[in-house]
Amino acid sequence: MFLLGTGYFFLYNIFLTGDATMAETFQNMGVLLLTLIPVVSMRLFSAEYSARTMELLLALPLTPWQIVLGKYFGAVTMLLLMTVGTLIDLVPLYLFGTPETTTVLSGYVGFVLLGMACLAVGQFFSALTQNQIVAALITASVLLGFWFVGHLQNFQTSYVLRSLFGYLSFALHFADFIRGLVRTEAVTFYLVVGAIALTLNASYLQWRR
Amino acid sequence: MSSSPAVIVLESVSKRYGSKAIIHDLSFTVGKGEIVGFLGPNGAGKTTTMRMIAGVTAATFGRVTVAGYDMATQNADAARQIGYLPEHPPLYDTLDVSAYLRFVAKVKGVRRAAIPVELERVTVACRLEAVYRHEVYKLSRGYRQRLGLAQALLGKPEVLLLDEPTAGLDPGQIQETREVIRSFGADHAVLLSTHILSEATLICRRVAIINHGRLLAIDSPSGLERAVEQTNRVTLQVTAPAQALREALLSVEGVSSLEIHASPGDHAVLTVDCQVDARDGVEALIARAVASRWDLHRLERQQPTLENIFLKYVKEAPSRGRRRERHAGRLSEGVIDLLPLADRLLRGRGVPLGDGLFLSVQHFLDR
Repeated sequence: MFLLGTGYFFLYNIFLTGDATMAETFQNMGVLLLTLIPVVSMRLFSAEYSARTMELLLALPLTPWQIVLGKYFGAVTMLLLMTVGTLIDLVPLYLFGTPETTTVLSGYVGFVLLGMACLAVGQFFSALTQNQIVAALITASVLLGFWFVGHLQNFQTSYVLRSLFGYLSFALHFADFIRGLVRTEAVTFYLVVGAIALTLNASYLQWRR
Repeated sequence: MSSSPAVIVLESVSKRYGSKAIIHDLSFTVGKGEIVGFLGPNGAGKTTTMRMIAGVTAATFGRVTVAGYDMATQNADAARQIGYLPEHPPLYDTLDVSAYLRFVAKVKGVRRAAIPVELERVTVACRLEAVYRHEVYKLSRGYRQRLGLAQALLGKPEVLLLDEPTAGLDPGQIQETREVIRSFGADHAVLLSTHILSEATLICRRVAIINHGRLLAIDSPSGLERAVEQTNRVTLQVTAPAQALREALLSVEGVSSLEIHASPGDHAVLTVDCQVDARDGVEALIARAVASRWDLHRLERQQPTLENIFLKYVKEAPSRGRRRERHAGRLSEGVIDLLPLADRLLRGRGVPLGDGLFLSVQHFLDR
């Protein structure tokens, strides 16, 4: 589904603009990711609760952190496979044009970091409920909120609030990567969001125990 | 108390969910080479206790130790020594049987080289050869239960916790499963929760009876029988005058009390229920005292069964009394004195004094 969507947007953007660039496609990939991540993450813990296999995981010699990281890296592997699948789009790009390799690379770095942060958030919400649909809806709402929170900048006169909304925006940080900027601030932001969500996830499992 | 070294130790363990207490001050041990049956009605706290020992949930108060590891601080180390079969076997439907067992073996820390041997051992022990390559979702309930047992046996744990292990099995499978448990229990500690009292009698060295989260008794089945031996009864049917029969029976050594009823259909024949002590030969003394003077039609001694013992303990558990104490604990002494009166008044009006109503009375009296 993701690869089909990405392929469609890639072709659409190339033929529309005539530019040998991935910038527009990355933007579309980001939005596609926000809608697909909840579907990937919703099962991570909710399915364990509803199948009653969580009891097994908690009784096995595993710490909450091991359970959380095991599931997270499994989900990240899926994200990486999805990302690798989009590399096929680069073949015609390099055959018929001369794209900036560093910009393409930074776009992919941003895409993976964005996906990792979104997965961590989705995994946390999956741990809170045994209903997968509820987990997916909460995750989608929160991720869309983080994506569009940057638009609130336009309505703020306070510098602090403008900066805060800008800093919290998944989309604005991702835009930097698409432009070819790998900023420490953006990398740190995605990693910190992921770390906070995973810590909350492990703490919740410990608290449940 | 078991004579063998204790592998499972519960010391004053309590469990609360919010303000609701599920387990109260539970203490017992299970020794190596011992199978202990865990009996109790639904909602007694058996599964919660099992989950605390398995490390799935933590005790609110008290200490749970398994194979020397404190479950509060060394949960992961202790888990290597525990095989746990929950009430609902925790199976991944999308895996096949071999992949599922391989996954559990890996997580339990079984050495990679030893995994095939270990898988074969549990597959044979639980008779899973016929479905070894089948997807889990295709398995019957009996096979699912046996697969759950197989994952618990992986890694040769010191402790086996089995929550209703024979539920859903046919009689043949029940027999086989009991054999597996019995053989495993020879040199491991096994705690087995069950509703089937005969199962506890057959395979357990000791039986723990729990109700409302409290341990009511723990002893060998024969020890429990001795503990309630005053419930031994002798029932006889005699054609005799009631008063003379009563005097004759009460003069027999070992007869503590009796009740005489007219037999249905023939009022000349009396049915007598005698409470006797546990000594052998009491029924012979009764037979001699009665048969020499009157017509004795039937005489039967009823030994206490585990079922009777279980019912006796469960029925006698002072659940309502405890609830009253708990509510009364919030009241002043003067109000507590009034509670029996309120109880009598409400009963007199045909109103059962349930928990909710009791709280209303409490609020009324507080006011």
